[in-house]
Amino acid sequence: MIDPATLGLIAFGFVLLLLAMRVPIAFSLASVATVSTFLIFAFRSGDFAPERAIKATSSLVFSNSFDLIHSYNLSMIPLFVALGHIAYRAEITTKIYYAAKVWLVKLPGGVAMASVVGCGGFSAITGSSIACASTMGRICVPEMLRMGYDNRLATSAVAAGGTLGSLIPPSVLFIIYGIFTETSISRLFLAGVLPGLLTLAGFLLVIAVWVWRSPEIAPVGDTDIDAAERWRAAREAWPAVFLFVVIIGGIYGGIFTATEAAAVCVFFAAVIGFVQGNLTWQGLWDSVRETCIQTTAIFFIAATAKIFVAFVALTGIAPSIVETVTAAEPSVFVLMLCIAGIYLVLGMFLDPIGIMVLTLPLMIPLVESYDLNLIWFGVVVIKLLEIGLITPPVGLNVFVIANVVGKQAPIDRIFAGIARFLSVDIIVLILIMSFPMISLLLPMGMK
Amino acid sequence: MLKRIESALWSLGALAVIALGLMITANVAARAIFQTGIPDSVIIVRELMVAAIVLPLGAATAARAHVAVEFVTNGLSPRKRSYLIVLGSLIGMFALMPLLFAGWRELSGTWSKGSFYFGDLGLPKWPGRLIFLVGIAVCWVRLAELAVRDTKTILGGGAVDEDEGAAH
Amino acid sequence: TLIHGEAGPNRGARAAALQWFADQVSERSSGDVKVDIQWGGALFKANASVQSISDGVADMGSVIAVYYPQEMVGYGIADLPVNNPDAWVGMRATDDLMRSSGAIQADLADKGLVYIGTWTTSAVNIGCKDAAIRTAEDVKGLKVRGVGAYGKVFGEMGANMVRMSIYDAYQGLDTGLIDCSQGYSYAVSALKQGEVMDSYTLLDWGQVGGLGIFMNKDAYDDLSEAQQAVLNDVGADMADEFGRMITAANDKAIASMKEQGVEIITLPEAERAKLVSMGEPFLGKWVESANAVGLQGDALLEEYRGLIAKYTEERDSMGYPWARN
Ligand code: NA
Ligand code: NA
Repeated sequence: MIDPATLGLIAFGFVLLLLAMRVPIAFSLASVATVSTFLIFAFRSGDFAPERAIKATSSLVFSNSFDLIHSYNLSMIPLFVALGHIAYRAEITTKIYYAAKVWLVKLPGGVAMASVVGCGGFSAITGSSIACASTMGRICVPEMLRMGYDNRLATSAVAAGGTLGSLIPPSVLFIIYGIFTETSISRLFLAGVLPGLLTLAGFLLVIAVWVWRSPEIAPVGDTDIDAAERWRAAREAWPAVFLFVVIIGGIYGGIFTATEAAAVCVFFAAVIGFVQGNLTWQGLWDSVRETCIQTTAIFFIAATAKIFVAFVALTGIAPSIVETVTAAEPSVFVLMLCIAGIYLVLGMFLDPIGIMVLTLPLMIPLVESYDLNLIWFGVVVIKLLEIGLITPPVGLNVFVIANVVGKQAPIDRIFAGIARFLSVDIIVLILIMSFPMISLLLPMGMK
Repeated sequence: MLKRIESALWSLGALAVIALGLMITANVAARAIFQTGIPDSVIIVRELMVAAIVLPLGAATAARAHVAVEFVTNGLSPRKRSYLIVLGSLIGMFALMPLLFAGWRELSGTWSKGSFYFGDLGLPKWPGRLIFLVGIAVCWVRLAELAVRDTKTILGGGAVDEDEGAAH
Repeated sequence: TLIHGEAGPNRGARAAALQWFADQVSERSSGDVKVDIQWGGALFKANASVQSISDGVADMGSVIAVYYPQEMVGYGIADLPVNNPDAWVGMRATDDLMRSSGAIQADLADKGLVYIGTWTTSAVNIGCKDAAIRTAEDVKGLKVRGVGAYGKVFGEMGANMVRMSIYDAYQGLDTGLIDCSQGYSYAVSALKQGEVMDSYTLLDWGQVGGLGIFMNKDAYDDLSEAQQAVLNDVGADMADEFGRMITAANDKAIASMKEQGVEIITLPEAERAKLVSMGEPFLGKWVESANAVGLQGDALLEEYRGLIAKYTEERDSMGYPWARN
């Protein structure tokens, strides 16, 4: 029998093959992980032992997929998706976009930039990239498409903007990293701020350059809008501003958690919609039904990815890669290059939390033996994980957007747009890796 | 018949989303205004999540809403792509079988042992497991139906329309 | 090689004890038995540990009894809010009971499990921001994150209970969403909650001791008697080793909280007694659940209390094992 690590590599190959053959992502991950897990269990004792393997495989498959769905914190995702739908039907999104459009009319690509900033703000607050992509995907993308924006720009701006959520505090990923490495979470939060803003600036630059070189992708509307109309548009946009204030005020004011913010905002959006007469009961019901179809597909991928993570843990691939790297005794530069490579490859297939639990227990002793700063390393890891959210073939943020916008923007168009944002991400990554001061400046100022 | 079951489950999923939204909002209000909370609201929201996510799975499958990587095979003819779509459904059926088996084991285990959650109300563990099993089972039946229907389309000389059902 | 599934990270006192367990098993069996630990819940989360171990997803794993109020009711005795403030005493009593009670062992065997060793959270305490618990009544009206029966007692004393995970507690304290969070000194320190607390009250109440190592019965039966003996011996010794570690870790945690400017409050004895008596009704409930699965709840509780007394006496007369000779 082949050893589990080799089986793991073969499994990665199979997933790629199935994906290339148009097999839905969830089915590819689940089928390959299940078969491989069964093989590992069946041959664990040396001889072929199918009965034990059936029990163990079934238990692993169930607990990992059910556990992901059976989650209180993740209820944030259907709720934020519903918020997007309801706000759209209640014309809350149309009004804020109209306001953005008339105010930013002189700035080419201005609405896309506003979307990236809004998305960054949103995911910074909620700490969830996926929640951001699903809400803002529903809010921003249709509005940008209606203004005649190119679908590559409209979708990729939101997918990339969503990845800002983990670097800018608060952030679930930093909390998990802090627990695994026993580093100060408030220092980690502070360390993420400048790299997060740097990334945001980079994304805005991408849009500016892209629109400057091909102005047709972001049409400039009617430019002679008078001041009165601009102010009227701004006043009309109050519900969106109100919801944003509710989220920020509620979370930082200690009234509710990010998950609870989602529920409270859905409630307020529906009330505003009814009071203004833009939302009907039928509209509300349709919004929620659409929400279901979208979230079910997203969760199904995430649940099967979870099964895949458990399978990867069984294979022992992660420790054998780390052992290989350690045995080579590389220089710091080569070590960081290897680590970046490992995270980028894993990020192509797995979700950020799964990658962390698989790798950090092995990676941290290695990093410590080189006397590297763990706070700085945390920023590098989170940045790498965020990049993984938008890299093909498994880029969860991209799937979420694709799912939300439907056939108006196929996945390859979104990835085509994302390539530009990725190139900036890589530059930012190199900067963060080369100049630890970018990360450490703010935490050093802490008492 | 299948369509009606799917639609009913889909509506139940939608009701679960509304219910969990109201539950969380009510809990926030109870905490902020009355200095209290709804008993076991976290556990109830978790169980509702299973309903919200898994029950609409059949309807999502019927709407061909599962995300696939398309760009590699976009160059192929619609007929050739149809074969791949059938392959996807078959692999989906294969992938769901362990989940069906495992879901059944879990359901019968939690039912016969009378497992419950630690909390204020000692809520039983089986309802979430039952919902999970029902959702996956309906999804499996729909995949089988799609596989048969798409195979017929191919044999009839046609090609599968991937956008059909994607009305949402 | 045995695979061990652990839901927590590979840092902190509990992880160190688990690593010690793995190293000792390997050393005492001269490399014959090795334990390979999967950290961070990569194989299964804490709320799926019992099925996962009994189905053989891992050969052994860490189990937290509170997720299984029905299946792990016997082990749940270690979570009860009885007067049980000392980590080492609590673990010794739990370990002794788990090994000596034929009824509990048979119940575990039914589920395909074998008991190997135990840990504890150590004494339940509470930390607050912009508030301080100086008497039992002080929790009244405060927003408190509590766990298990202890949380229920806080609720009955008039606290406004807020449910959130231990990982969210940091942010909850920071924003004021909660005023206080129930915790254990070494965990408060590991989760950096000292950064966002300004008082920490030593309740020295009971413990949440229902967390330990369990093994898949088939995997256990596959081992030779000598190999089984190594696991059992190391498992039993873990109480001493972890007792040493956690006592040191708690002292260090409290010292570092003091350094951070957190006020450390010791709850007066009379106030503490109030909490202990408020916990009594939950013992009755546990006895009922235990009886329901065919265990003699009253007798077990009696025996457990006797064991706590016995090891308290041993500590008082001889000191902790690591401080002897
Ligand atoms: Na964030
Ligand atoms: Na990716």
